[in-house]
Amino acid sequence: MAGPSIRIKPAGEPSKSTNISGEDSSHRLVAFLQSQSQNTLTRLYQKPSSCLSIFRLLRPLERQLVMNLLWLEMPVPASTMAAWVTREGKRPYHDALATLARLHILPQSPVKHALNPTFKSSMRQAITGGGSSGSFGVLSENDDKHPPPDIEALDAYALERWETILYYMVSSGTGQFPARPSQGVLYLLQRSRLMANVHGNTLQITSAGFQFLLHPPHEQLWELLLQYLQMAEERQMDLVEVLSFLLMLSTTELGKDYSMENLSATQKAMLEDLRDYGLIKQRTATSRRFSPTRLATTLTSSSPPLPTSTGTGNGSQAQGFIVLETNYRLYAYTDNPLQIAVLNLFVTLKSRFPNLVVGQITRESVKKALTNGITADQVISYLITHAHPQMRKNKPLLPVTVQDQIRLWELEKNRVKSQEGYLYTAFASQADYEYVLNYAKQLDVVLWENASRRCFFGSVEGHANIRGFIERRSAAGNA
Amino acid sequence: MKAIRGVLLTCDSAVKQILLTMNEKQSFIIEDLDDFHVVIKADEEYRVRRELEAELEKNTYSLE
Repeated sequence: MAGPSIRIKPAGEPSKSTNISGEDSSHRLVAFLQSQSQNTLTRLYQKPSSCLSIFRLLRPLERQLVMNLLWLEMPVPASTMAAWVTREGKRPYHDALATLARLHILPQSPVKHALNPTFKSSMRQAITGGGSSGSFGVLSENDDKHPPPDIEALDAYALERWETILYYMVSSGTGQFPARPSQGVLYLLQRSRLMANVHGNTLQITSAGFQFLLHPPHEQLWELLLQYLQMAEERQMDLVEVLSFLLMLSTTELGKDYSMENLSATQKAMLEDLRDYGLIKQRTATSRRFSPTRLATTLTSSSPPLPTSTGTGNGSQAQGFIVLETNYRLYAYTDNPLQIAVLNLFVTLKSRFPNLVVGQITRESVKKALTNGITADQVISYLITHAHPQMRKNKPLLPVTVQDQIRLWELEKNRVKSQEGYLYTAFASQADYEYVLNYAKQLDVVLWENASRRCFFGSVEGHANIRGFIERRSAAGNA
Repeated sequence: MKAIRGVLLTCDSAVKQILLTMNEKQSFIIEDLDDFHVVIKADEEYRVRRELEAELEKNTYSLE
């Protein structure tokens, strides 16, 4: 029986990248769409803007397949299409076909391939223009009295909204009382289990919330929006309208005013929520127009959703601000309270200067993060994503010693694993033992076994079944 | 045949030796299975984990 073994990933290898163009994993929204019914999706595909946005979220191979089929009037025989594929490409090709089939973009067929007709005509319209459906949003008439807000003001607004939410999360339970986001946002945070109610009515961040804080902004945004989509059905909102509005927003242009004229009632109701998240800006709550912010216009693109952080505005934060040395010292060139608060989750901060924070990664600080539910991989990937440009000359990017040590600290915490269950011993005979053990193995509940001592340990879930099995057997034996 | 309710601890052998020493002071082990597994009383798990943590903590050196 093998003992617990220690396995450490090679430090040089960057941990699983989670950016939008990640080759190995689909976008979160694509995964969500796959779970929707054909009816919902077909209705969604009636909007050219939805088709284009979803197309942008697909993986490169899937995009290529769609483009190849888009302008064909006749279906392509499956054998012809398979002939394009090299032997190594077989698996990715079939994966791509399966994803497109689940999205109902390319219905599965063993004989021939043709795009879903609704998707095809909308996608063609999106590319060639034409039609007056207003699916990409309707610009509002120029109004000399209220010119559209400039891009800087929009960025500042989006950033302020978004950081208020994150800062509220990170400083909950620390005794500080930062600005509260609106009730709707608080409800959303609670529903997504990023924060939970503890004693009475104070919201406190959960371990899922801590992990959330270390994700890149694009992922954070989608995590909240997917939760919003799930809530939409409970609130009797039409999922297709909610989705198509979000996807429409992602195709709008930054710094332009859009008219509310042809929005449905559901979509008008959404404006208020999206304003709270910082996705759109309205001059006043009753204004008849709205301007999308960068958070909204980058929803389905790979450009960064947030402009450079507030404060110094020297632009370095966009690429990264953390310098980590082999002696575990960490220098963070930032004066942004949110970034400092996030670092404080796993770094012992020592001194603070106008544009610089100095700290040290210690066993205690990492242990604190681990007990909060943050994993070593998340800490490391946060450090990698936010590494200072100077650090990018290093290969590997982070000092190997520090990476390994963080992982070792995590292993240290998991030295003991416990599983509840029952120890079955004192079997009358070897045959008896093997008979019961076989049954338990079929149920897949055996955690430990030893034939020479004639005993095994089964998990708590299997106990009722095993007891029933033995009782039935002894009853049959006595009869 | 009998079934005993408990918690299966999977650990390395060093931790197991500490558990055995702790067991001498106040008994909580139901069955010592092998070098890496012991079964302990379910309601003692929290106390055992806490004491083990304190014991392991003595073996680490901190700069602070």
